[in-house]
Amino acid sequence: MTHEDPAGSGQHPPTPPRRIRVTAPIVRARRAPGQPVAREIAEQSEVGQVYVRSLIRSQLRLAVVVAVGFLLILLAFPLLIAYVPGLEQAEFLGVPFSWLALGVGVYPIILLSAWLHVRAAARNEARYLDLVNDA
Amino acid sequence: MNAWVGYAALIGLFTVTAGIGFYGLRISRTTEDFYVASRTVRPWWNASAIGGEYLSAASFLGVAGLILISGSDALWFPIGYTAGYLMLLLFVAAPLRRSGAYTIPDFTEARLESVAARRVTSVLVVMVGWFYIVPQLHGAALTMSIATGLPSWVGSVAVAVVVCVTVVTGGMRSITFVQAFQFWLKFTAIALPIVFILIIMGNSGLSVPALAEPFAVDPAGLPAAGAYRDISLVVALLFGTLGLPHVLVRFYTNPDGPSARRTTLIVIGLLSVFYLFPTVYGVLGRAFTPDIATGGTPDALVLLLPGRLVPGLAGDVLTALVIAGAFAAFLSTTSGLVVSIAGVISQDVLGGRVRGFRVAAVFSTVVPLGVALLTESMQLAGSVGLVFAFTASTICPLLLLGIWWRGLTDAGAIAGMLAGAALCGGAIAAGRALGPLAGPFRELLAQPAAWTVPAAFTVMVGVSLLTRGRRPAGITRIMTRLHAPERPLSAPNR
Repeated sequence: MTHEDPAGSGQHPPTPPRRIRVTAPIVRARRAPGQPVAREIAEQSEVGQVYVRSLIRSQLRLAVVVAVGFLLILLAFPLLIAYVPGLEQAEFLGVPFSWLALGVGVYPIILLSAWLHVRAAARNEARYLDLVNDA
Repeated sequence: MNAWVGYAALIGLFTVTAGIGFYGLRISRTTEDFYVASRTVRPWWNASAIGGEYLSAASFLGVAGLILISGSDALWFPIGYTAGYLMLLLFVAAPLRRSGAYTIPDFTEARLESVAARRVTSVLVVMVGWFYIVPQLHGAALTMSIATGLPSWVGSVAVAVVVCVTVVTGGMRSITFVQAFQFWLKFTAIALPIVFILIIMGNSGLSVPALAEPFAVDPAGLPAAGAYRDISLVVALLFGTLGLPHVLVRFYTNPDGPSARRTTLIVIGLLSVFYLFPTVYGVLGRAFTPDIATGGTPDALVLLLPGRLVPGLAGDVLTALVIAGAFAAFLSTTSGLVVSIAGVISQDVLGGRVRGFRVAAVFSTVVPLGVALLTESMQLAGSVGLVFAFTASTICPLLLLGIWWRGLTDAGAIAGMLAGAALCGGAIAAGRALGPLAGPFRELLAQPAAWTVPAAFTVMVGVSLLTRGRRPAGITRIMTRLHAPERPLSAPNR
């Protein structure tokens, strides 16, 4: 990128930033401020590389576990309805169980999976940052 | 339906949208504003904007219409639309934000260090975007003719013109405000009539017809979809969402990886609540107005139901509200797609300047408008489902393998994307051309995701393994950049 970005500093809120003319195609975006130190340590040392690889592995394992768990639960809904006797006819306030399960019941499970993943992923990253800061 | 109700709704919506767009223009000044809103958008705003962009004609009109005609099988559509965001959160959100690229082709080039792979991705992104805009314009045509009685092409053209003006003047910064506003408009528009109808039912001003069987399998006499169709649809929706260009470009507007995750979590919550309502419309439609299913335009259920069930002036006001909500759906999805397609075209062909972006925006609207005017509308939810299948077979493997597997090479990525595009596109086209002649293969061709997605992954992995020598030299640095977290700022200067 070949231009200064006056909007990024945000130091003078009363005066709006001046319009700028852009002169080059942008392929790479500006990084968020104040972050790259942990990355540079990781990129430069062999120990750092071990940390990064183990971070990637643990994040991937987490994502796959949550995805597979969710898909199994999702698969269980139609199987339950098809094979548990009586469930097909079960009703709540006049609404059949199959409609309640698919129309309402799946969504809390999606939300719960997402929330668990966000927490666990943040924990993995915090552990990695601790390791890098100690190194 | 009263034509003045339709006109009032449309004029009101267009005025407010243009107003917010022009307000955005005043604060949209730099190139980053134009492309990604300077990455200063807060998670709640951003999540509303993502929801606004994502809830398209298929969600607002199509899901209820499909439930009306095919019953509980159609419930898989909103489940897939929402769970697609779970997959996006699990596998894509934070690493993609950290990649620092603006568009999917930028990501491809940075990850694979290959201009050829970038070009193939660009072409696919533009194709996906155009395929997705066409059903939006068909929805606009349907809504316009129902709302005002004007010829249906007026609806498509009106949406195209408003989108063009908003995008060209404001870029992404103003689009973010417009999208967030339109999410809450859509939400109100779909929820309020249901609240009214339920209150009326509670006061027993409205009793369910004795013969109605809202939960029966098929009031319209359609055969129930088989297990293959349901599974294939869920595969398409789960893995298609994480490759949609207009969804992905939104993630670059988060300041860092963790906020990208938080945004996705909020989006899942918003969608979970939203999708309860199309389901209720479908059920009420099956109970009270099964004639809409047999009348040939089940997609119009959401538009017609409030006027049928709520008497007098309240019914007119609610009808105006759903018409405005439906147009908000067409406008927001279309403008999100136009922004992302124009971003790709302007960077790849026109040199990445703001003027190029504007030219590209006009071009990206005119092409699908032409297609929409020349083709017949099909079931909205169904045609959008096919776009998801195509995305899941092409861009999804690229993103998943690119983010999580060091072994992906440019040759593998290109081969996999082309194979997925050829198989999925070919299957859909063959299914259309053959019709009932396809016999036992009909289901496989009608919703091909269940076999084309694994096929694309297999080709991508196989060719990458055969071309190990082509792994990018900087792969270690790239993978670190994608996955290493930002260091939390100790100084309170954020």
